[in-house]
Amino acid sequence: MSDLNFKEIYETYSSQIYRVCLGYVNDQEQAKDLMQETFISVWKNLSSFRHQSKISTWIFRIATNNCLRHLEKAKRIITTELPYQIEEKEEVKQDDKVLFLYRCISELEETDRLIISLVLEDLPQAEIATIIGLSVGNIRVKVHRIKEKLTSKFKKNGQFE
Amino acid sequence: MDNLNDLKAIWLNVKTDSLPNSEQMVAIIKAYKNKTLQRLVLLIVAAFFMIALMLFTGYVYDFKFLSSKIGEGLIVFSGAILIATNLNSLNRFYKLNVCSNKEYIEFLKQTRLRQLFYFRYTQVAGLVFSFIGLILYLYELVYKNQIVMITCYLLLVLYFTVIFFYFRPKSFKKGSAKLNLELDKLQCIEQQF
Repeated sequence: MSDLNFKEIYETYSSQIYRVCLGYVNDQEQAKDLMQETFISVWKNLSSFRHQSKISTWIFRIATNNCLRHLEKAKRIITTELPYQIEEKEEVKQDDKVLFLYRCISELEETDRLIISLVLEDLPQAEIATIIGLSVGNIRVKVHRIKEKLTSKFKKNGQFE
Repeated sequence: MDNLNDLKAIWLNVKTDSLPNSEQMVAIIKAYKNKTLQRLVLLIVAAFFMIALMLFTGYVYDFKFLSSKIGEGLIVFSGAILIATNLNSLNRFYKLNVCSNKEYIEFLKQTRLRQLFYFRYTQVAGLVFSFIGLILYLYELVYKNQIVMITCYLLLVLYFTVIFFYFRPKSFKKGSAKLNLELDKLQCIEQQF
């Protein structure tokens, strides 16, 4: 498998996948672990990817399935000694509004967290329906309800004023 | 005010500077070791080795007693159970991640139920078969000397008692508690679909 091809995919999707994982767990370290697990699966399965779906659908499916499997807090990525030292970067300080939004999302039900994360990543509802496994109509209703929940939380907190 | 666009603007504002770049990610992937997969493969290889060893011994050493042959058969059978179950798990492991979230939750639930079944029944069956197999298998080798026979069987009983009444319940308690917790969580997610 070509490293170049993988690197392109990683550059395109890593931030999106990280945000979806962060929306699910609301913990930077765990989100990073989940994002890395996703790309380990992408690397392993890229050669067998048959283009039956869009690559974004395939990657988001892997990421969201990883999120759903995520139960324990322990560090999941175990590596042997790395060929060169990757510098440990400190946890980044996020803006208050960002922290509030991610906290609100992580308080939703698991499937709702995934749905709204994919909506915020600008994925079409048909693609979200394929990833989640629900009908487009069902997704539309759910998105509407989640949006209402989130905006009411933001308004209560005075965040949209 | 368009609230969804406001939310999107905030959502995209999250800082992603701490993420590894693509070079670093490739290095992480190449250094990644899947412990679960390694353990499964090791178990399968060990079971294959045990079966080969048993068959080779049976071929080289011409057993006279029927008990030895039955014993050998039971031990080989318990090894075969171990291989079949773990090969099946390996096969399921490779099928992960290719379906929608809804199908995936169902898949995970089935996997956890199978793991519970393995803990409860398959593991016990394997232990019982190999225990009876060893009792029968060793008889021809030790029956002539009473002291050797008593010592050998005492050690065998002691070994299986410790495995069966100490290690197995301990690992079962830990494993089944984790699996039941995961099952509860999966059922809860399943209801959301």
